[in-house]
Amino acid sequence: MSKKLISLLVVIGLCAVSGGAQDLALKGGTVITVSKGEIPKGTVVIQKGRITAVGSDVAIPSGVKVIDVSGKYVMPGLIDSHSHIALADINEATDPVTPQIWMWEALEPDSDAIRKTLAGGVTTIKTMHGSANVIGGVNVTIKLKYGAPVEEMMVQGVRQQLKMALGENPKRVYGSKGRSPSTRMGNAHSARKAFIEAQEYKAKWDKYEKERSEGKKDLTPPKKDLKLETLKMVLEKKISVDCHTYRADEIVWIINFCREFGIDLLQLSHCVDGYKVADVIAEAGVSFGGWVDWWGFKEESYDGCPFGFTIMNDAGVNIVINSDSADEGRYLYMNAAKVLKYNELTQNEVLKMITLNAAVSLEMEDRVGSLDVGKDGDIAVFDKHPLDSTTKCVMTIIEGRVYFDHAEESVTVEGGAQ
Amino acid sequence: MKKHAVWGFILFLLTAGVIFSQGTILIKNGTVVTVSGSSLRNGCVLIRDGKIADVGKDISAPAGARIIDAGGGFIYPGMIAPFTALGLTGYPGAGNDTNETGTSTPHMDPFDAFNPEDECIEVARIDGITTALTVSGSRNALSGGALVMNLKGDLADDMVMKKHAAMVFNMGAKVSGKYPSTLPGVNALIRDKLNQARRYADRTSRSLKKDKNAEPIARSLEMEALIPVLEKKIPAIFVTMNEVTIRGALRIIDEYDLKGILFANGGILKYADRLAAEKIPVIWSGTMTIPRRWEAYDLNYHTAAVLQKKGVLFAFNESAGGPGSRNVRRQPVPAAMSVAHGLSEDAAVKALTINPARILGISDRVGSLEKGKAADIFICSGNILQLSSKVTAVIINGKEIPMTSVQTRLRDKFAPLVRERRARK
Repeated sequence: MSKKLISLLVVIGLCAVSGGAQDLALKGGTVITVSKGEIPKGTVVIQKGRITAVGSDVAIPSGVKVIDVSGKYVMPGLIDSHSHIALADINEATDPVTPQIWMWEALEPDSDAIRKTLAGGVTTIKTMHGSANVIGGVNVTIKLKYGAPVEEMMVQGVRQQLKMALGENPKRVYGSKGRSPSTRMGNAHSARKAFIEAQEYKAKWDKYEKERSEGKKDLTPPKKDLKLETLKMVLEKKISVDCHTYRADEIVWIINFCREFGIDLLQLSHCVDGYKVADVIAEAGVSFGGWVDWWGFKEESYDGCPFGFTIMNDAGVNIVINSDSADEGRYLYMNAAKVLKYNELTQNEVLKMITLNAAVSLEMEDRVGSLDVGKDGDIAVFDKHPLDSTTKCVMTIIEGRVYFDHAEESVTVEGGAQ
Repeated sequence: MKKHAVWGFILFLLTAGVIFSQGTILIKNGTVVTVSGSSLRNGCVLIRDGKIADVGKDISAPAGARIIDAGGGFIYPGMIAPFTALGLTGYPGAGNDTNETGTSTPHMDPFDAFNPEDECIEVARIDGITTALTVSGSRNALSGGALVMNLKGDLADDMVMKKHAAMVFNMGAKVSGKYPSTLPGVNALIRDKLNQARRYADRTSRSLKKDKNAEPIARSLEMEALIPVLEKKIPAIFVTMNEVTIRGALRIIDEYDLKGILFANGGILKYADRLAAEKIPVIWSGTMTIPRRWEAYDLNYHTAAVLQKKGVLFAFNESAGGPGSRNVRRQPVPAAMSVAHGLSEDAAVKALTINPARILGISDRVGSLEKGKAADIFICSGNILQLSSKVTAVIINGKEIPMTSVQTRLRDKFAPLVRERRARK
C-alpha cells in the first residue's frame, strides 16, 4: 500500500471520527459567550469543529467559510438535559429494576423530532429511559446530528447516566399489576436491594480479578449478570445517576442513598419540590434539572413553584431548565425567559440554565455550553436576543456544520411546505 | 359609653373611607394599551364603581381616589382564556369534575360543579387572566355546556358573566370498541342527536299550543340542552384536531345552520378563506402543536399570521389538548411565538383580549379599555408578549385582587426555612 493511500485513509478515518466537523466563521453578530459576557459585532471562528477564536477583532483564516450574521445574536447551542426524543422505545416497564437496558440501542438518528428540536437552537440532549422503573436504563447523551450514524451522534468520552425514578410512577406501574413497589417504601427497597446485590457482585469480581492478576491458576470467573454489571459500573463511578423526583422528602432520600453507596448523582430530574430543600441540593453538588411552570398535573407535582428559582439560586444550586418533552424542547429559550417573570435574576444567569449549567450536569462543561476557544463549535443564531420572547432561531450549528437554517426550512420561504 | 361612641364614629369614618376609596381608582404613569384604539403613552385609566370611567392622557385624581402608579409599565385589559376547565379542578382531594361518562352529555352544566376555591384560578389571575370560559369537558362527541366566569369572587354566583354560554362538541371523540368508533360515526351521532332535538322542540311547542294531535312528551334534559344551539341562541364550539374533523364540523354547522366556533389545534390553514368568508371564528389552540413529519417546523408558529392576513377572527388558547386549568397563565406563550413568526404585536394582543371577548359574545362588557366597560385590568412591568414581563397588579370589576396564589404562599413558607438552615451551617 502506498504512503499516499495510507494517509488518505487516515484522513477519511479522522473525518469519520470527527463526525463531519467543519470550518466556519460567524461574523458581525452580538456574541453571547455566556461565560464572559456579550461581544457586540463579534466573530466566532470554528476550525475542524472546534472554536478557535471569539472576539471583536478576530482575523478569519483564509479558506474558512464566512456567514454574515450582522444584527443577529450568536449563542452557544442549547442543551436539553432531559429528553425522550429520537428513541424507538422509552420504557422497559416489565420490572422495577432494568439497568441492563442501554438507550443508545434504541436511538433513531432520522427521527423527525431531531429536526423540529434543532429548529429551537438545541445541539446537545440527553435522551432518557422513562420513569416506570425505580432503576431504569442507561441514558445516552447525543449531539443532534440528524441522520448521522449512531456512533457519531453519541458524545464519546463522557460518562453516561443511569435513570432512576422515585415516587408515583413506579408505584403506579407495579402497584397496578399487584406487584411491588406500590409504595415509596417499596421504591426504596427496590433500589437498596439492587445496589446491595451489586456490591456483593462487585466484591466477587474484584476478588476474581485480584487473584487472576496475582497469577492464581484454575480460577472460575463469577457468572455474568447484565443488570449487576451496569450497577457495578455505577459503584465504580464509570456511570453516574439522574434521578426522577418530585417530593422534597424523596429528593433528600436519594441524595442520602447515593452518598451511602458511593454513587455519583448528577441531576435531580423534575425536582418539583427542589426549592424546599435547595440547601441540601446545593451542598450535595447535584444539579436541579426541571421545568419553570409545569405543576399540578398529578398529585406529587402540586407544589411546583416558578418562584422557587430565586431560593435555589441564592442557595447556590446548579439550575438547569430542561424539557422532558418533544414539544417544550423546541423553545427552551422561551421557558428561560419565564424565569425572569417570577424571579429577580440576571439574563446571563438564566441563559446559563439552558447552556453552561446543563453542560455541568452532563460533565461536558469543558466541551460545550459557552462560546470559548477550545470548545465544540455548537452554536444557535437568533434574530433577536434569545430572551426576547418574539425571537426565533434562524440557524443551528454543530461542530461547524449547519444543521438547521430557517432560510431553507421555513414555511414562509418558497418551496416550504404549507 | 361616650368614649365608645367616639371610637365607633372614627371606625365608621375609616370604613366609609375604605369603601369610598375602593370605589374609585386612578391608574397612571403607564402605556395604556386600549386594544380598541391606539395606545396612550404615559396615560391614565380611571375606575369608578367597578367600571372604566375614563381613559386618557391627563386625568386628575378625584378626591379620595386610590392611585396606582404603573411605574412606566403597560396597562392592559384583562386577558380572556377562551377554553378552560377552571373551577372544575383543584387541589388533590377536591376532585376533577370534567368529562361526565357517556358519548352524549350536552346537559352537563359546569356551573353545577364550579368551585371558586380551585387553586388554579388564583394562579391564572395573578398573571393577568381575568375572564375564562369554563367548559364541562371536551372528551365526548356532545360534551356539554360552558359558562363565562370572571375570576374574582367567593361564590360561583358572584363570578358568572354568562351562563349557558356555549355548547361543546368534539369531532374526534371516537370511543374504542363502542359506537362511535370512527370519525363518520361521531358525525352521525351528533346529527342524530340534533335531529332528535329538533323533533323534540317541535313536539314541545305543539304541545304547548295544546295541539290536539300532539302526543304527551317525556321531558329530556339532554334534548332541552340542544335546543338553544339549534335556535342559534348559543354558539356551538367544535373541537377539531385535523383536516378531517374540521371538515366534519363545517358540514354540521352548515347543515343545521348553527352559530359555529372552531376550536382547532392543527390543519386550519386550508380552510382559512372559507372561515373568513363564512365568519366562523376560531379558538386557535395549535400554535405549539408539533407539525407532522412532512410539514415545515414553523407551520403552526406561522398559522396565526396567516389567519390574521385572511381576516379570520381568532383567539389564542394555550392548551392544545383541550381545556386546561393549571397553566392558563401560559396564554401569552402562543401569542409571543406567533409574533416571532410574522403576526403583528397588535393582532397578538387582540387575540388575547378583544377577540376572545367577541367570540364568546361579551365584547360589550370586557376585552378592551373603553369607557363603560368592566374594569378588568392588569398592569405589567413590560410588554405582555415578553414572557419575562412581570404582572404587578390585577383589577377585576374595579377591585384590586391580592397578588397571591398557592405558589406565592409556598415561596413565602419555604424561602425563610431554607435561609434559616443555611444560616445555621
